[in-house]
Amino acid sequence: MEAPGLFWGVIVWMIFWGAVGALVIRARYLHRDLDTSNTVFVGAMTGAALGPVGLAPLWAATPQLGRFLSIAPAILTVLLVAGAFAFADPANICVTNGSFVASQFTNGLMIGIIYGFMALGLTLIFSILGVVSFAHGEFYMIGGMLVYYISAVWFPGISPLIAVLGACAVAFLLGAAFERMFLTPMYHGQIDRPVEYGILVTFGLAFTLQYFVQAVAGASPVKVQRFIDFPRFGLPSKEDPWLMETSRGSLTLFETVSIPNPRFMAAVTCILVLVALLFLLHRTWTGRALRAVSQDREAAAIAGINPDRMNMLAFALGGMIAALAGALLVQAFSWLPQVGNIPAMRSFVIVVLGGLGSLPGAFLGGILVGLVEAAGTGCVPDPQKAASYIPAYGMIVLTLTLLLRPTGLFGRRFAGGVHGAK
Amino acid sequence: MARNEMMNRIPLLAGAAFLGALIAFPFIFDGPNDSYLMHVMITAFFYAILASSWSMLAGYAGQFSFGHMAFMGIGAYTTALFCHYFYLSPEPTGLCAELQIGSTWLVVVDPIGVTSTTLNQDCLRQAMEAWGGAVEVTRMPILLGIVLGTIMGGLFGFLVGLLVLRLRAAYLALFTLGFSEIVKATISAEIDITRGQAGMELPPLFENGVTLFGVYYGPTAKLPPYFVMLALLLTCLAILTWLARSKFGLFVRALREDQDAAAALGVNTTRYKVLVFTITTAMAASAGAVQAHYVGIVTPNMLFLLQTSLVVAMAVIGGLENFVAAAIGAIILQVALEMLRSNIELGGYVIDMTVWRLVFFGVLLMVTLRFFRNGLIAPIINRFARRHVAAETVAARRAAETEDAAR
Amino acid sequence: MIHLNVSNLHQRFGGLHVLKGVSFEVKGPELIGLIGPNGAGKTTLTNVLDGAITPNSGTVYLNGERIDQLQPYEVARAGLGRTFQVTRAFRRMTVLENLAVPALALGRLGSAAAVREKSMDVLEFLTLDHLRNEYAQALSGGQQKLLELGRLLMLDPDVVILDEPFAGVHPRLMEIIYAYIRRVNAEGKAIIIISHQMDAVFTLSQRLLVLNFGEMIADGPPDEVKRDPAVIEAYLGVDEEEEA
Repeated sequence: MEAPGLFWGVIVWMIFWGAVGALVIRARYLHRDLDTSNTVFVGAMTGAALGPVGLAPLWAATPQLGRFLSIAPAILTVLLVAGAFAFADPANICVTNGSFVASQFTNGLMIGIIYGFMALGLTLIFSILGVVSFAHGEFYMIGGMLVYYISAVWFPGISPLIAVLGACAVAFLLGAAFERMFLTPMYHGQIDRPVEYGILVTFGLAFTLQYFVQAVAGASPVKVQRFIDFPRFGLPSKEDPWLMETSRGSLTLFETVSIPNPRFMAAVTCILVLVALLFLLHRTWTGRALRAVSQDREAAAIAGINPDRMNMLAFALGGMIAALAGALLVQAFSWLPQVGNIPAMRSFVIVVLGGLGSLPGAFLGGILVGLVEAAGTGCVPDPQKAASYIPAYGMIVLTLTLLLRPTGLFGRRFAGGVHGAK
Repeated sequence: MARNEMMNRIPLLAGAAFLGALIAFPFIFDGPNDSYLMHVMITAFFYAILASSWSMLAGYAGQFSFGHMAFMGIGAYTTALFCHYFYLSPEPTGLCAELQIGSTWLVVVDPIGVTSTTLNQDCLRQAMEAWGGAVEVTRMPILLGIVLGTIMGGLFGFLVGLLVLRLRAAYLALFTLGFSEIVKATISAEIDITRGQAGMELPPLFENGVTLFGVYYGPTAKLPPYFVMLALLLTCLAILTWLARSKFGLFVRALREDQDAAAALGVNTTRYKVLVFTITTAMAASAGAVQAHYVGIVTPNMLFLLQTSLVVAMAVIGGLENFVAAAIGAIILQVALEMLRSNIELGGYVIDMTVWRLVFFGVLLMVTLRFFRNGLIAPIINRFARRHVAAETVAARRAAETEDAAR
Repeated sequence: MIHLNVSNLHQRFGGLHVLKGVSFEVKGPELIGLIGPNGAGKTTLTNVLDGAITPNSGTVYLNGERIDQLQPYEVARAGLGRTFQVTRAFRRMTVLENLAVPALALGRLGSAAAVREKSMDVLEFLTLDHLRNEYAQALSGGQQKLLELGRLLMLDPDVVILDEPFAGVHPRLMEIIYAYIRRVNAEGKAIIIISHQMDAVFTLSQRLLVLNFGEMIADGPPDEVKRDPAVIEAYLGVDEEEEA
């Protein structure tokens, strides 16, 4: 970095005015007897983006904090950080190379969709069982492992589609069996402190699964061939494919942005499954029953829904979603028994960012975290450091969320009470 | 009645006998695997400190932190960095950043990367080359490093405690897990300072050996660290016992049961929540610092999630709400895990137990959680300790029956 | 002389205006009933008085000390104690330990022996003495309610707020709760009882406060309040059902 002082100076300035904004604006709204629920976030972002210039009118006018006033300062803050970075490090590849930025952005978006999809499973489990599954990363891991075992070890040459479906089925059954054996007792008053028990017992499952797979598969990484090759294709024409061009392993947009085949396929599949899932949740009896249980267990039980069965279904579905994400990404990364740790952390960050229990929040949160990570890995000057810090980028997002808006982007109901932030 | 008294004393007597066996062990045992077994025991004590302090944090105070190992790592790395970058010299080097204290100079070595070619190029080594052996540079005392590590761990615990004040259950677990990932990532990434995955070497606990009762033990002997770690464990247990029996223990348990109700009864919940974080993390850090000197090297791998899982599992299996049980559980499980290392041959198949034992361990953890909510060891202790309640329970039942009759 | 002065409290949650300028005063050892239909803001008012919620505006003074900006534990030490609508005993602590928490938090009793002695007194009064070493979770719901009252006796605040003390309590235990209220009142403390059980409130209290939609619509002797048209209107068609 050419001028680290400039960059860090701007960051410190932003943190200072952000903190001032958060405190002052909240106190001001409280004093004026107005709704304070969003003031910390807006105050912090306005302070960070505009400093005293932005805070003064906010302080004087105390406008109603609608959608525009919530989002605009946040976006401005991000732009300012990016701008300061560009000034401080003009030779950085993120600043000089537009096509690199576009590639990084697109790939961040793709991977973010997959993260969001995986986090969706976690948030589904939480909204219905009230349990944060610490075994989510292990379901992701066994999804990939099963695809490897089915398609490369047990039945070589089998269609990858069947391998993926098989992995999902096994994960679903495993989730259902675990839920019935270890989580159902929570809902029958057989467990003293259900919230803590839920954390610990899923933690135990994670531990067991991880070492079981390591004992069976060994500690060396496995790799799976990519499932399908793209057909050769060009837009607007094969001769002059300036809009879009495919090769077997990747897809190129505008002759600059290149997306690897496995990620593209995984993201597209995730979107398709997401649509199917939304259909299940909103258009079928089972889905309505699931949503009913997530809103009010007792009322749902009175209406003739068996909440125990819905719990089992939700946990199995959540685990299957993680396994599907793993099954799709096993073609992109080399696979180890520990491979689930980082995606699990990421899912936790995403669900807190999106709001625990919120499905759209999980998806949007996934995309945001994907973009933050893409920016982090692409732009931090020392690539080795950038890679080592991957888990930290998400954590910065998590810490900011917990400090500024503990309810997350869309969360309301679950933020209080025994589960989360006060 | 006399018999009752005897029964009440059983856990105490058993504890004393167990402790006596631990103290006598290194003197009596003299087998071929002597130093290996000693190593297993030292590691077991290390885990016992972590498990018992975690049981205070999670079991007593209800703060399910998954970042305990990160604080251990902070302790270990603090003393490692301290030993690595700070020296005392009777002469100024003129090259390093240095500070005169009386007639000696505190020398701060400049951090450099890991490559072997640069190993001899730090400012102190250059100065020593120039002196040609005329000046003797001494390390900082190891005890000071350990104390600093403990303080640093407590300090981070204090800060994390402040940050998680408003968080409960799942949010707290997620945040602390994330904190431990950040610590690990930072240590792995800041290679210039921490040497990343290569790890940092530390001097042994007793650099020049130590003479105990007329017997000289060299720097690599296992007996001195054995007693240091045992003493640290006993100190921690003593502090925890004292805390648990004072109003501190009462208040943190009230906090665990119902934070709002405790506050409504005049308990300063904020203060006790931060305090319990600070104290238990400082204990973890002290264990980490001592262990780092004993093992002689620290790497980011000691912060792997596996380590946290082990501590959590040991505390749960021992008994989450009884730190003595958690410590005993940790010792027994660590020894058992080591004994299960050897491979088993079953009908021609060789089962690699190094991994399978962890699978069994995980299953044991889940089964304990499900069916033995107070762990496996705590109920045995409680059974003797709460015998006198049994008589009253009968009376209570009788009273309840009369009440029912009145209904 | 006990003096609680609540003036012009406002509380909003998002767009919901839960307390709209609530004011009242308590002077001396009064026995006050606080009633109102579901959602009137009674529990919110308790939470604001107790410090669990900081009000948007308005002030609360207790014996000359301003308490509306204090933390709950500071409010408790300043002399305002409360029970919760849903019983909140420390379930996995023994009965004696439950009582020791407020006594040690205040630290007024000094030695452990004094704490134990007072605890035994309290337990005897509440007829819980034979259960002193049992875990609170082993107690029946009514006994847990008594235990909560016992904790308040140990805290010994000047103003006691009881949130639904009679809900789901066995008649025999009800007698003890009545005795408790009379005893605390006789010791010169002020008591505010929030309850849906009108008969109990009418018999016990000397003064009645009625809260409706966040506003104090009546304040006076029970007989007068009973005839107040505003109160009758607020309760019209509302059965005396218990809050969930």
